[in-house]
Amino acid sequence: MAEEKKLVGEGVKFERIRRITGYLVGTLDRFNDAKRAEVEDRVKHSLGTGKGELEKVG
Amino acid sequence: MITKIIKRDGRTVPFAIEKIADAIYKAAQATGGRDYSVSMDLAQKVVAEIENKNIEVPSVEQIQDMVEHVLIENGHARTAKEFILYRAERSRVREMNTRLMKVYQGLTFVDAKENDIKRENANIDGDTAMGTMLKYGSEGAKQFNELFVLNPEHARAHREGDIHIHDLDFLTLTTTCCQIDIIKLFDGGFSTGHGFLREPNDITSYSALACIAIQSNQNDQHGGQSIPNFDYGMAKGVKKTYRKLYRRNLAKALELCCDVADAPDAVKRMMAEIERDAGISPILANDNGYQEREAQALEKLGLTAEQIEKCQSFALRRANIETDSTTYQAMEALVHNLNTMHSRAGAQIPFSSINYGTDTSPEGRMVIKNVLLATEAGLGNGETPIFPIHIFKVKEGVNYNPGDPNYDLFKLSFRVSAKRLFPNYSFMDAPFNKQYYKEGDPNTEVAYMGCRTRVIGNVYDPSCEVTGGRGNLSFTSVNLPRLAIKAHGNIDMFFEDLDRKIDLVINQLLERFEIQAKRRVRNYPFLMGQGIWLDSDKLDIDDEVREVIKHGTLTLGFIGLAETLKSLIGVHHGESVEAQNLGLEIIGHMRKRMDQATDKYHLNFSLIATPAEGLSGRFVRMDRERYGVIPGVTDRAYYTNSFHIPVYFPISAFDKIKLEAPYHALTNGGHISYVEMDGDPLQNLEAFEAVIRCMKESGVGYGSVNHPVDRDPVCGYTGVIGDTCPRCGRHDGEGVDPEVLKKLKGYSKFVRPAYDENELEEPDKLTNPIE
Repeated sequence: MAEEKKLVGEGVKFERIRRITGYLVGTLDRFNDAKRAEVEDRVKHSLGTGKGELEKVG
Repeated sequence: MITKIIKRDGRTVPFAIEKIADAIYKAAQATGGRDYSVSMDLAQKVVAEIENKNIEVPSVEQIQDMVEHVLIENGHARTAKEFILYRAERSRVREMNTRLMKVYQGLTFVDAKENDIKRENANIDGDTAMGTMLKYGSEGAKQFNELFVLNPEHARAHREGDIHIHDLDFLTLTTTCCQIDIIKLFDGGFSTGHGFLREPNDITSYSALACIAIQSNQNDQHGGQSIPNFDYGMAKGVKKTYRKLYRRNLAKALELCCDVADAPDAVKRMMAEIERDAGISPILANDNGYQEREAQALEKLGLTAEQIEKCQSFALRRANIETDSTTYQAMEALVHNLNTMHSRAGAQIPFSSINYGTDTSPEGRMVIKNVLLATEAGLGNGETPIFPIHIFKVKEGVNYNPGDPNYDLFKLSFRVSAKRLFPNYSFMDAPFNKQYYKEGDPNTEVAYMGCRTRVIGNVYDPSCEVTGGRGNLSFTSVNLPRLAIKAHGNIDMFFEDLDRKIDLVINQLLERFEIQAKRRVRNYPFLMGQGIWLDSDKLDIDDEVREVIKHGTLTLGFIGLAETLKSLIGVHHGESVEAQNLGLEIIGHMRKRMDQATDKYHLNFSLIATPAEGLSGRFVRMDRERYGVIPGVTDRAYYTNSFHIPVYFPISAFDKIKLEAPYHALTNGGHISYVEMDGDPLQNLEAFEAVIRCMKESGVGYGSVNHPVDRDPVCGYTGVIGDTCPRCGRHDGEGVDPEVLKKLKGYSKFVRPAYDENELEEPDKLTNPIE
């Protein structure tokens, strides 16, 4: 039987900081249902290429 | 013979015929009745009828049904109508009570995860004791105000979702927000209500007191607290710190190199004399002739020219270095404090904002640099600070172009914002901001509060078109998409209905103003008691605040311009020029109405692009129930924020900015535009700068760049995290081998970020300093 390795960070979730009506919030868990839906719908705004990629400007 | 009745709650109580007679008499009085004996006769008829039906113990409902019946039978139709209305109102109150108790039940027994009310505001942890207590108070106050305080017409419009009265729980209590002039506040010291604080003497106490000021004012108001002149205010603390550190270091040098006896006292005396005689003391810029003057004084103490040169340059060098690091620590403490003090009703950290960027003095520049670096470094474990909101004031000739004195700080701000989402940017050269700007008077630089509020124009007192000591009093938003749905494409009808709603909101804001105006200085011990609010220092503790709050704004807001346009003409303003023109016409009309109200009432009415959080779901939920799912209008869980192009619509950053900019000019009560940037903007700071410059050139007032800021608390990685952490390789919630962590470069090691002006010229070389 293989010896069980001691791991750290089990159950620790990634923090995902987003801006919501001007304020930052450290976790999507605290967003209300409407704002959570809005955050999921957000698309990136392209810079020049029109294909959603980040293009060097200048 | 009736002797008992059953109450609504099921209890049986003794019967009293007077109660029936009283109820009838009350209804009769409302239609002009004066004769109680008629009411008593009718009450006896009611009792007789019930007895005829052989009901021995009637319920309250049965008696009331019979009252209606008897009144109508006996020709008292108008009294009957009043009685029915009274019954309906009472049952609405009862229903509300039941509803409130249901809300309380949810707050008490359901986790925030399952309860949307607990997550109405993302900055409150609804699962904690004080967070829940805050919600009990808030929900109870909302219902009380709706039932007993608000004009019924306004209550109905709010209840039915035609309008939304923001912060209804605070209706009778206070106003929204304030721009705190810290220079004025600190001058001579101030009291928090629990003790007097002396005027601070170094940057460490300046930053601590700034937090205390924000915290104290937060408990007098329900909205955000903003410092409009953060750099100018803190610079005064840096100046004092520099003087102190120069003095100490000079004393050390004299003692060590020149055997000056009692050097600290000797230096103190010498500096005091120079200050008295010439009015100068050591300053960071070192350009006021102090050094020369001091050299003469040291010569008199018997020092050689060589000794003087050595000691002075030591003191200069050390004072510079130590002032810089003390300022960094003070800014670090400020950021830490503003993220940890849960002093807003015990459940929230204060909503704080700081505005800076235009102070070009060496002290002001040191403040700006260090507050940016402290934010870049993050909190204790590298977490991104949530507060304060940083607003970098962009101004041509000051920081916008290469060669401007603060251009290097503008560049530094990109690196910080690309990593931490703050600062946001406000544009002093936008025509609607520039018109108030007076060179050399920071109080005329427009500031922004919290999420977007803006207060500068002042019809009440045109000599006070300033930022300090003013804020919004209250605001109410109109459900624009509903007006569009009801108009069925008829644009004239839409505008007519919109005008009616604006009339309603103006009246409601005025009635709320009347409630607020009757409050007294003692109701706002800090805001008014300490003279934070403009002209409140002229009032006594028991005076009404009526006159001084006229410096504030009464504001109309809106949500869902995109859905409104979709409903009216089938496309939104991102999709067609026609829609953009109609959008500008709608918002322009709302602004015109506010300007007219400003003239008429001589109060500062303004138009805001509402920062809807709880509201984003409320209106659309009600409209979907009423009108069904309408594609592009009610088919999502939210209405689009204010005048924004919908978040789901693919558009280039530059097009979005150009389409939204004209709305900034119309929304004088506040606005913000966002760009969602892909990937890690730290890797492309030129693109970041291009976006900010585009905002400035397009006439945006206030804007910022959104990008994902993810963090793995286990290895400390900050950046974009997909399914797995790019640094330690673990999945969300997964454990990781501690040996792997130990091998990571720089793991758990705190590094103060570097600031090197030369390095800034080549942004590509910059790397994440935590990594």
